[in-house]
Amino acid sequence: MADFVEINSTPEDNFTEADFKLKNNVEDIMIDTNFASQSFWKEVGAQFIKKKSAVFGLIAIIIITVLAIIGPGMNEYSYSDQDLLKKNFAPRIPGIESVGIFDGTEKISTTTGTKEINYYEEQKQPDVYFWFGSDNFGRDIWTRTWSGARVSLIIAVAAAIIDMLIGMSYGLISGYFGGRVDMVMQRILEVSNGIPRLVIVTLLLLVLNPGIITIVFALMLTEWIGMSRIARAEMLKLKEQEFVLASRTLGARPLFIIFKEVLPNIIGPIITQVMFSIPTAIFTEAFLSFVGLGIPVPQCSLGSLISEGFNSFTTHPYQIVPPIIVMALLMLSFNLVADGMREALDPKFKEM
Amino acid sequence: MRRYVLKRVLTAVFTLLAILLVLFILMQLMPGSPFNDEKLNADQRALLYAKYGLDQPVPVQFLRYVGNMLRGDFGVSYKISKNTPISQLIASRLPISIRIGLFAVTIGALIGLVLGLVAALFHDTFIDTIATIISVIGVSVPSYVFALALSFEFGFKLSWFPMLFNSQHELASSVLPSVSLSMFTMASIARFTRSEMMEVLGSEYMLLAESKGISGGALIFRHALRNALIPIITVLAPLIVDLMTGSLVVEKIFAIPGVGSLLVNAIQSNDYNVVISLSFIYSAMYIAIMLVVDILYGIIDPRIRLAKEGD
Repeated sequence: MADFVEINSTPEDNFTEADFKLKNNVEDIMIDTNFASQSFWKEVGAQFIKKKSAVFGLIAIIIITVLAIIGPGMNEYSYSDQDLLKKNFAPRIPGIESVGIFDGTEKISTTTGTKEINYYEEQKQPDVYFWFGSDNFGRDIWTRTWSGARVSLIIAVAAAIIDMLIGMSYGLISGYFGGRVDMVMQRILEVSNGIPRLVIVTLLLLVLNPGIITIVFALMLTEWIGMSRIARAEMLKLKEQEFVLASRTLGARPLFIIFKEVLPNIIGPIITQVMFSIPTAIFTEAFLSFVGLGIPVPQCSLGSLISEGFNSFTTHPYQIVPPIIVMALLMLSFNLVADGMREALDPKFKEM
Repeated sequence: MRRYVLKRVLTAVFTLLAILLVLFILMQLMPGSPFNDEKLNADQRALLYAKYGLDQPVPVQFLRYVGNMLRGDFGVSYKISKNTPISQLIASRLPISIRIGLFAVTIGALIGLVLGLVAALFHDTFIDTIATIISVIGVSVPSYVFALALSFEFGFKLSWFPMLFNSQHELASSVLPSVSLSMFTMASIARFTRSEMMEVLGSEYMLLAESKGISGGALIFRHALRNALIPIITVLAPLIVDLMTGSLVVEKIFAIPGVGSLLVNAIQSNDYNVVISLSFIYSAMYIAIMLVVDILYGIIDPRIRLAKEGD
């Protein structure tokens, strides 16, 4: 409607005599300027940008990703450098320290009361700055937080993409062929869905050596089911449509129809599902690290940082705060972006 | 209906068998041995293997294993508490985990329902925004972060509740763990209730009810909420299972002597028998819940039953 009004109000409304002549077979008549369709992705993008929470999520993800890439290189520390002389230093940032916050002092609660301690002065390290503080091995928490975020992101994104490939293919094939193939594949899926993923992941990690690849593998085995359900449902909706029939009539093979004809039409719901499975993967990784099945030391992930910080979180709370905030923000942002994408891609959600 | 129930039960039985097979295979693959004590020589080790039946061929071990598991005989713990029957270990710890889980589900479901209902009724207002923010945060922040925050604020700083579980004050000790576990349930239920209510409120039968002169509480509770509640049953089942996962970490944080902390200890000390038995219990509970919910859903909503039969 808006387009219509806009076009009527343009100066081109001043008709000339040429406008009333028959055009015959000029190509101009093929172009419908009033109802010109916008490209699908342009429309989705416009819908997405309208939702403030989704844009906030996207910006937060970009900032965290950039910091995960460049953050560990921004100061002279590495994630594994230990220096017991500099352990448990509170956050101290040059410049801000003169204001009175982040100046390296922390309150220690003891049985006799609380007192303020500045380890930088006590250990005679006036030139040392730990932006987020240091842990109980004297490692820089800024560096460790961002390299942890890097590991968590790599695990989550890799797991989500592999899940997508497996689940998508499984669901599409099951949905397209139908009949007995579908029956068998769905029974297999039901049985694997009945196994709690906590159990599989835990047992797998006990058997295999811990590390990034193992965790991705364990996540891969458990997270493809939701994706395959969505792919199958979409396939069932589309496979009776004329364009599939046309392609089949032209002699296209099943695999060509599945991946070249149908897949491009259902890419929206699939991407949305990937966005939803990333926070799940981050959470599962964090959970595994907390239980003691995560990334081996001295490497770290957000989960292992939280579980390290947990041991001293009543005495040095600043050690656990950065990884928790980064992880919560990351999960929140991915959920917000996924919500926004779902609404932008699915017109049914627009009214809600 | 009978065919539908039979099909669900059969699937459940096969799932259980598949789990037993997976657990058994994994147990064979486990690194190390429960008897890697350096003081033992080869003969003594062989004696121990014979005692626990570990020298039999694999299929025999598996059959005996299935029989034992189904009879509730999980064998003995090798490490955590030497030679104690695992069923006894679990029986003493399961009630407390279930109690905290039930608290969490109840709190989460009730608050989530109210939050979702209010958000839907005052749709697109300030109240709706607040409810949405709460539910998005609840879904995105893991339960153990809530557990740590609550335990720091109300346990350590304010000392309102015990930081660690104390069996003398069980009720007070259960508050913080239950609340932190319930956050995810609450948030999911709130989101789901909101979208279901919105759909029901916009339906034609609500318009009919309204034009018949029904209003206020009767309209919302008897006509809208009842219909919106049906699909909520389906999300409740996976949520209860998520609680099990959450309980592992939350039990560790609050030092609750439940099955979650038992599993963590067993994982860390390589007590395979305990890990396997607990995995079996978790899986059996999961399958039972899924089965009950599926059948319940089929009874409540005939469309599901018919659709699945035609499948």
